[in-house]
Amino acid sequence: MAGDIARLDLALRRRSMYGYAIGMAVYAFVIVALYPSFKNDTSLDKFTEDGSTVAALFGASGPLTTPSGWLNANLYANFVPLVVLLLTIGYGASSLAGQDEDGTLALIATLPVSRRRIALQKVATMALQAVPVSLATVLCVLAGRGFDLAIGTSGLVGVTIGSLLLGIDFGAIAMLVGAVTGSRGTTLGVTSALAAAAYLVSSLAPVVSWLHPARYTSLFFYAVGDGQVSRGLPLGWAAVLAGVAALAIVGCLLAFDRLDVR
Amino acid sequence: MTEPVVRVESLTRRFGANRGIEQVSFRVRPGEVFGFLGPNGAGKSTTIRLLLGLYRPSFGRIQVFGLDPSCDSVAIHRRVGYLPGELALFPRLTGRQHLDRFARARGLRDHSYRDELVERFTAELDRPVRTLSKGNRQKIGLVLAFMHRPDLLVLDEPTSGLDPLLQNEFISLVRETVSDGRTVFLSSHELDEVQRVVDRLSIIKQGRIIVTDTVEGLRKAAPRTIEFRFASTVTPDAFTGLDGVRVLHCADGRVTLSVTGSVGPLLRAAAILDPVDLTARPADLDELFLSYYRDEAEGVSDGR
Repeated sequence: MAGDIARLDLALRRRSMYGYAIGMAVYAFVIVALYPSFKNDTSLDKFTEDGSTVAALFGASGPLTTPSGWLNANLYANFVPLVVLLLTIGYGASSLAGQDEDGTLALIATLPVSRRRIALQKVATMALQAVPVSLATVLCVLAGRGFDLAIGTSGLVGVTIGSLLLGIDFGAIAMLVGAVTGSRGTTLGVTSALAAAAYLVSSLAPVVSWLHPARYTSLFFYAVGDGQVSRGLPLGWAAVLAGVAALAIVGCLLAFDRLDVR
Repeated sequence: MTEPVVRVESLTRRFGANRGIEQVSFRVRPGEVFGFLGPNGAGKSTTIRLLLGLYRPSFGRIQVFGLDPSCDSVAIHRRVGYLPGELALFPRLTGRQHLDRFARARGLRDHSYRDELVERFTAELDRPVRTLSKGNRQKIGLVLAFMHRPDLLVLDEPTSGLDPLLQNEFISLVRETVSDGRTVFLSSHELDEVQRVVDRLSIIKQGRIIVTDTVEGLRKAAPRTIEFRFASTVTPDAFTGLDGVRVLHCADGRVTLSVTGSVGPLLRAAAILDPVDLTARPADLDELFLSYYRDEAEGVSDGR
């Protein structure tokens, strides 16, 4: 029946989905509540003023005391994508390769459901992994309006969609690598390395001149690294993220069709 | 003759050198219990995964209900119940959650047969499966395989972990299933289990089928053990050249032989040596089975 495999996997991942959402909500609330103490602290802006590489490594560039700068440096340039990726890459690696290694995929793959539908249900589950975390963060950031943290709706929506799409991209890449290799370890290694490289390129590009043109190779740039918190998510960048996800998903469907399920 | 439920022809699947299965052929007829016997690592599970479309063949042809598992797996899976050899369940879910979710995924609404099976196997349903013993997990696997009354059951080492009482229960379930006109394909490395329940069987060794026959047919071909006692010491040379005769033991005037086929030539050869006594034991399927496992040099026959 439609959706049974997705529901099963959601039930198996429920704890981590809600656990991360609660953790992220607590963290986001602390960040939001701290803003009034730092908003007039001009010394903080000096940290990033001269194009500090250290600040850039943590995802912080530009002024830190504006609402969008504060949220960018403390949430959306680093922690939110990190947690989103933990969830989507984690599920992406376990959904096909991990379950195959555990032996449980054989029970699923012998149900009267085509491989393609199995993979699509798992893609949908993967896309849902990061929704609770993202919503919890959004709610806390909205609560920030009570702490002088005024942030535009388009920026908040844009960066939230951007980080969700980023998670879907790397989650889909993890599913693709898992469907090709059948190995959870390889999948986690390859996909995490790709994500780390993309993060470094995007966060260092503003301060390292020779890396500047390379930012277009990083999915982080399209998702959260191009001022999305203040300006929103450009349609073109959303299309790039969606296109990468579509390619990875098609690749995953084709590879899973040929995977030897133990 | 009616169309076979499973038809496998020259099926080959290679995983690098010396692994996988080679030129496997057999047919499973509707309503029979077909055994697939072989030592661990012989290729039983590989063949089963190919039947279910979990693996793709390198060469050869498979048909299940006349369909190709590589492209019609959904239609095949609808009519098949599968128990994997190394059954893995979801550790945090209970038995009941497994049964409910898989029943729903198969669109199974009438749960009466499922509940009957749970009762027969005394399956523990309310604890997370990670806390269950291997045998208790196996019971849940058996219910998952049988609950939708599939036309074909593919059971890989089905009784592993079950106590003798439940093994008997399993065998009566298999008999009921075939008396319903349904078909059972089961693999095992234990001859006892297989000869109690199967109609026909294939023996697979190192990825190749070495014989396919009925249990009765195999019994006819099985070697008898014959022992001669001679008045004086003899050498085994007198017997080693004879067709179908293998010298098991030879010392102090006693010669123990394993014999297949006619005993005439053997008796004539022995008569010359002046035997004082002779004992013969009837055909032993165990000995046959072991001889198939043992004989590296024997030719390979694609029995069907």
